[in-house]
Amino acid sequence: MDFSSILPVTIGAILLAGLYATMSYGLALIYGVMRIVNLAHAGVIMLAAYTTLWLYTSFKLEPYLAPLIVVPLYFLLGMGMQRLIVRRIAGAAPIVSLLLLFAIWLIMQNLAYVIWTGNTQSILRPYTTRSIQIEALDLTIGWLRLGVFVAGLLTLIALQFFLSRTYLGKAIRATTQDRDSARLVGVDVEQISMIAFGIGIALSALAGSLFAMILPFNPDFGRVLMLKSFAIIVIGGLTSFVGIAAGALLLALAEEWSVGVLGLQTSLKDLVSFSALVLVLILLPNGLPALIGRMPSWRNKPTRSVSPVGSASPTGGGPK
Amino acid sequence: MALLEVRGIDVFYGEVQALWGVSFTVERGEIVTLIGSNGAGKTTTIKTVSGILTPASGTIEFDGQRIDRLPAHKVVGYGIAQIPEGRRLWPEMSVQENLELGAYAGEARGKRNETLKRVYELFPRLYERRGQAAGTMSGGEQQMCAIGRGLMSLPKLLMLDEPSLGLSPILVAEMFNIVREINSNGVTVLLVEQNVRHALELASRAYVLETGRLVLSGAAHELLNNPQVQSAYLGF
Ligand SMILES: Nc1ncnc2c1ncn2[C@@H]1O[C@H](COP(=O)(O)OP(=O)(O)OP(=O)(O)O)[C@@H](O)[C@H]1O
Ligand SMILES: [Mg+2]
Repeated sequence: MDFSSILPVTIGAILLAGLYATMSYGLALIYGVMRIVNLAHAGVIMLAAYTTLWLYTSFKLEPYLAPLIVVPLYFLLGMGMQRLIVRRIAGAAPIVSLLLLFAIWLIMQNLAYVIWTGNTQSILRPYTTRSIQIEALDLTIGWLRLGVFVAGLLTLIALQFFLSRTYLGKAIRATTQDRDSARLVGVDVEQISMIAFGIGIALSALAGSLFAMILPFNPDFGRVLMLKSFAIIVIGGLTSFVGIAAGALLLALAEEWSVGVLGLQTSLKDLVSFSALVLVLILLPNGLPALIGRMPSWRNKPTRSVSPVGSASPTGGGPK
Repeated sequence: MALLEVRGIDVFYGEVQALWGVSFTVERGEIVTLIGSNGAGKTTTIKTVSGILTPASGTIEFDGQRIDRLPAHKVVGYGIAQIPEGRRLWPEMSVQENLELGAYAGEARGKRNETLKRVYELFPRLYERRGQAAGTMSGGEQQMCAIGRGLMSLPKLLMLDEPSLGLSPILVAEMFNIVREINSNGVTVLLVEQNVRHALELASRAYVLETGRLVLSGAAHELLNNPQVQSAYLGF
């Protein structure tokens, strides 16, 4: 036990949680609109990391500027992927989309091995190790860690604004909550699916691009992060922004505390996340929202931000 | 020319046929009711008109134009609104957001604020609750919100699928009054109801569906006195 490290470890966890939330929200958005789990998430995170590296080595683009290219690029890529591939299996059994996206991930991974080999890469710039010292609290915070946190947070806030204020954003939410009702008021749900898939992929890519600045990566990068994303959306509920932020924070805290405060070996850190996933699935299959729902004093408040996936009905009816 | 003209539609769910050669018309300004027991195909009929389902054969014309091959999101622009069975609001969105999205399509969007004001006049209750998440309202309030959402698209034809489902007798009466009021403002109504007596008293004409086929049609007051209808649907 090392209590003096509680503050810096907690701050480190909060900064990490920003990125965790960004990548998990991409998965949740796609699930919400299309009811499919994007197993290519890991591949997109990894490819975006390499794209960031490639933009630097080939064009001398500073990695912190890479998201300006990576995000729109992967948005278009995601829309193309939905249009050409994923859309074709709409309405099929869940296993079909799981296998399809799993296969896409493997293809991405193998391509990366061919193009960049399996060697571990990292992006090192003069500012990589620069940090702020806060003497009074005996605290050191890496500039980059702070930067990627702010970038992730600002993106999520902008996305929230888009979803709650614009017609298009509201159409995305409506499609998530009741697809047929959305069609009945004139929402082209095929188009919405494509846009949502693009946004989801762009978020995964943003996370990958930001992670590339602070973590080493290889073609297998993204696998562990994807499993962590699953843990987060299982904890936080799939449709709720606040739930995902809370899930990301809880997971990051559990990881960082177990190592930094409780003194667990660093190599066991990921074990903490996956144990959390297993525990939550067994003890609390509907995540935090279910727990909150069980507390009587909370029940009467409007629970818009914490309602579980079950509130949306499956798409019924025949083909069209 | 009738406002809605449905001719001989066959509709399938996968391999299973749910409608056999269903034909009916709705004239401008009318209230027409479609009755039948559970599983008769009433919802299927309405969903086919709104484009959620596509008929395997047969045609649907609205205002003189073929709409049977159009996807649902295009049909609403022609002036057809479906109020689905079981309300089907967006539960986590506010009442106002639900209503505003009702005006998503076509010209309705530009007239949104005006229409919203009229809907709030028709349902003062919704105005009081405008900020509340739709899923947390009572069944009656949700039904009003669903009707309001349909009106936001400025429909020529409003199709209601069992609006009285799960409402108390007082609310049922209120709901029928509202339908009458909407109709008197020039909106044609196609009403699906289990509450057959009320529906026949309100409508001018009626069609009876049985296991996917139309078996009876006529003036509503005649069906009200028809012994067959009385024994099957009115509990005589
Ligand atoms: N999504 C579906 N898949 C397969 N069959 C369906 C589906 N929806 C309805 N059916 C079948 O089609 C037939 C007509 O159903 P429909 O919902 O149109 O009846 P309804 O008259 O609206 O009944 P209710 O009064 O209970 O609402 C039924 O036999 C039903 O089982
Ligand atoms: Mg029905």
